[in-house]
Amino acid sequence: MNTGKSHTMYPSTSGTSVVGLVYDGGVMLAADSLGSYGSLARFRDVKRLFKVTDKAALACSGDIADYQFIREVIEQKVRDDVCGGYTRELNAGALHCWLTRVLYNRRSRFDPLWLECVVAGYKDDEPFLGYVDKIGTAFEAKEVATGFGLHFAVPMIREAREKKQNLSCDEARKLLTECLKVLYYRDCRAHFKYQLADITPEGVTIHDDLNLKKETNWEVANYISGYE
Amino acid sequence: MARRYDSKTTIFSPEGRLYQVEYAMEAIGHAGTCLGILANDGIVLAAERRNTNKLLDDVFLSDKIYKIDEDMACCVAGITSDANVLTNELRAIAQRHTLQFGEPIPCEQLVMRLCDIKQAYTQYGGKRPFGVSILYMGWDTRHGYQLYQSDPSGNYSGWKATCIGNSSAAAVSILKQEYKVSETDLHQALLLALKVMSKTLDMTKLNAEKLELATLVRNDNKTEINVISVEEVKELIKEHEQKEAEAEAAKQDKQSGSGKSSDK
Repeated sequence: MNTGKSHTMYPSTSGTSVVGLVYDGGVMLAADSLGSYGSLARFRDVKRLFKVTDKAALACSGDIADYQFIREVIEQKVRDDVCGGYTRELNAGALHCWLTRVLYNRRSRFDPLWLECVVAGYKDDEPFLGYVDKIGTAFEAKEVATGFGLHFAVPMIREAREKKQNLSCDEARKLLTECLKVLYYRDCRAHFKYQLADITPEGVTIHDDLNLKKETNWEVANYISGYE
Repeated sequence: MARRYDSKTTIFSPEGRLYQVEYAMEAIGHAGTCLGILANDGIVLAAERRNTNKLLDDVFLSDKIYKIDEDMACCVAGITSDANVLTNELRAIAQRHTLQFGEPIPCEQLVMRLCDIKQAYTQYGGKRPFGVSILYMGWDTRHGYQLYQSDPSGNYSGWKATCIGNSSAAAVSILKQEYKVSETDLHQALLLALKVMSKTLDMTKLNAEKLELATLVRNDNKTEINVISVEEVKELIKEHEQKEAEAEAAKQDKQSGSGKSSDK
């Protein structure tokens, strides 16, 4: 059966970390706006975060082309549901489950969508935050991140939660921007322009064109030997 | 003659009719009655059991009412083997949805998917339509309690109370008179179902062995689909007959009271 055909198994233009957390009153998601071409910071205004329905938002890291493809498939799915009128609006839990099935099936055919996705929103009046990746690993948690975010951001969020279990909206936003700042300092493939999504029972609000450059302080670079 | 136009399903007659579909509905008109009633707090499905042979092994509790999903059940009227194929397909459709989306399929979506399959058999393939009409009762978070009916043409609609099978037209007209929209609770719906069945079935007295009754209710965020046991059906029949007797007596009193006071 093996026809000797193979599919590309590496990303070309890729996005870096996505970070998400559940707070008291909703869910927040953030991702920077960089599409890296290897080590070249090629496209600096790529929107990696999008609103699916009033109950769900999706952000992906990994191959940008695969993200754009899956985004279009999901947008058409939402349109079909609205036009058909016989089913209810896709919620975050259903989107997460569906995405898991799609990504797992693609990997089983050796033709993966090279993505690490974070689904955020509401499922049956409960806040929902889930992770799905290119091999079909899927789980739900109160704080979730992809790529470098897993190593930098998640411990930061967990530490903040130890001090205070339920974060307010402002605390969550501050924490998330702090995470992105740290990621910008430490991740070579990160950028200072980013998007932030806030999902509450009222709906999804996406803040575009946010910039954390002014909050960064590179003075410390002078102390690094070899910087000059 | 019209005969020439009805051998293949894919052909319209000169008068614009699909004869095979109509003949399929004829077949259902000879099948055991099924009726469904939507109450404020639940749904009732009642069916006439035709296979009451003593020699039958009672593996299945009910031979016309099937559970499709955790939140949906259906009642079939028509050719039994066709019905088995369709109920299997309904269950598979429901599970495919749950596998993909991790949540139960909305009732209308399930009915719609099956009806699209039924419709395909009236348009292409050279196959005959399914000789089955189905009554669906279900609950979902979108519309709450719902009752649907689908027929061999692949058409479906939502109902507050309806009937399929033998004497369905008579049953529907009785339901039209007796059913009180948004004022019927589950118990009243059960009694109403018995009332309609007794009037339309060709037996003089209701027999618990010849009836199948099932209810669907929501309790504690869980759907309970319950096929009522023979003993409970007997109780309900007793209650129904009592109410009928009281109603009769009240009518007699009214009739004789309007004249002059009777002396017994």
